[in-house]
Amino acid sequence: MQYPGRLIADTFALVARCGVLLILYWYVFKLNGGIVNGTPYIIVAWSMFFYFAFSTLRLRDISKSIMQDVQSGNVEVLFNKPVSYLGYRIWWQIGSGLYPFVVATVLGSIALALIVGIPHTMTVGIFLPTVFLVFIGASILSLILYSIVGLLAFWIEEVNPVFWMVDKAVMILGGSYLPVALFPPFMYKLALYSPFGASQFVTHTVYEQWHSEWYLLIGIQIFWILVLLITTLIMFKRAKEKVSVNAG
Amino acid sequence: MTKSIIISNLSKKFTFPVKSASSGWIKNLFSPEIKEIVAVDNISFSVAKGERIAFIGPNGAGKSTTIKMLTGILFPTSGSVNILGFDPTKDRKKLAYQIGTVFGQRSQLLPNLPLTDSLEFFGVMYDMPSKQIEKRISELTELFDLGSFIDQPVRKLSLGQRMRAEVAASLIHKPKIILLDEPTIGLDVVAKKALRDLLLKINEEEGTTIFLTSHDVGDIESLCNRTIIINHGTVIKDLPTEDLAKTFVFEKYIDLVPTTKFKDFADLPDGMKYSSKNQNFITVVVDIHKTSVKEAIKKLLDMFDVEDIDVYNADLETVIRHIYERDSTRQ
Repeated sequence: MQYPGRLIADTFALVARCGVLLILYWYVFKLNGGIVNGTPYIIVAWSMFFYFAFSTLRLRDISKSIMQDVQSGNVEVLFNKPVSYLGYRIWWQIGSGLYPFVVATVLGSIALALIVGIPHTMTVGIFLPTVFLVFIGASILSLILYSIVGLLAFWIEEVNPVFWMVDKAVMILGGSYLPVALFPPFMYKLALYSPFGASQFVTHTVYEQWHSEWYLLIGIQIFWILVLLITTLIMFKRAKEKVSVNAG
Repeated sequence: MTKSIIISNLSKKFTFPVKSASSGWIKNLFSPEIKEIVAVDNISFSVAKGERIAFIGPNGAGKSTTIKMLTGILFPTSGSVNILGFDPTKDRKKLAYQIGTVFGQRSQLLPNLPLTDSLEFFGVMYDMPSKQIEKRISELTELFDLGSFIDQPVRKLSLGQRMRAEVAASLIHKPKIILLDEPTIGLDVVAKKALRDLLLKINEEEGTTIFLTSHDVGDIESLCNRTIIINHGTVIKDLPTEDLAKTFVFEKYIDLVPTTKFKDFADLPDGMKYSSKNQNFITVVVDIHKTSVKEAIKKLLDMFDVEDIDVYNADLETVIRHIYERDSTRQ
């Protein structure tokens, strides 16, 4: 509640970015008779909305927080507290993004339901529990993935290029610019089996295949969570031993 | 007396790759030359409960490295640290409940939130019940006079207010030891005095052990009852602060004010040298091993037409500078 400006900015950004893309896709689908690659516009619209709504959680910003802590030396202040540094940063990120996420998602969902309607895939009984599961998985995976990027600051002076590459991979394979339903087969496989795509599986939940594939996708998410969690913990252990900020 | 801190043969070495101009970029990339710096070199000392320690030394002496090893941020290369019975390398989190830290050049407060939220946040972090947090915040507000700005976002506080708030935040959980790394850096004289008075108060009222690094002689003189001087990673002096001033007691300073203006600055006799000289003022340093003060004054009065004269011991800043310089020339 301390950041009303940020809430307005996030809602505006969601409307601007997602809205412009939805208008463009609406026109493209209209030119093609309402269906592209066997997928109707309403599905694509909700898939893209899920991507942008998820992005208002700003879990990716954990990279920048860790980078700034390391570069400014502030990491040593947090190392002095009786909490795990990574745990602190993760909960901080969730806490600061949750409110704008809830507000933007609720308002956006109502607006989208009124404008394009609700696809039948979202009315099936399995939708709500699985979307919840995959949302939790996507949040954990995003936090871990971006934490790894942030932790690189302990070894690399300038982490921004790595952040940029990972972030763009997540955006593209997550289906922000082009919904995954419209991907060519090899790109779709990449979106399915890479951690970048897996961190955005919420965008898959509105597709027809979801009802037969959800357990596979959640399995992929769990696999990446485990692999990257181990990597993060190893990196963090090494990083703690590497701290030498401003020691004189 | 109960020991709060026991440091035994503590050393810390840092290694880092350096680019060699004579090697190619492939060698520099994959097999660079490794340079080693000994930041702390086999130091040992202990601190009793309730002591106020000034841990001082020139830049790069090893002060901050030692403090960071005490808090568990840095791992020692060798030796051991025991704080309140804990080994910081193994029990960092448990130790964190018992100590408070203030880094003068870093902030632990949350910049966009009101100060009261930061204090509450840290209280929760230290697992304090909400009633206790509330009580402690009101205690600290009164003690540190935070009332006028406690509801302001931290980023809007002046440096003096922020430092008071930083110390208050580090005391939220009533730590047994507070480690301060240059807490008065950048503060004006009024804010410095206020902060020193507060630290003395918490030392007296709550028995908090104070371990402080500073380049400010005022901090050392007015706050600390013991001074440990470190240079090049080794402890070169460890003595009561009041004895520190006596270290160079063989040097006396004589200030001379001219009747009109000083014109000639003739060479001084053996045992005396100019510390500063200009037309309006001369300061002479006398080595009393070589010449007595009485003799020195006599000679100076013969040499200069003087209206006023003042004799005094070296101030603490000069003493500390001498200690640093003497140690540097010994290296």
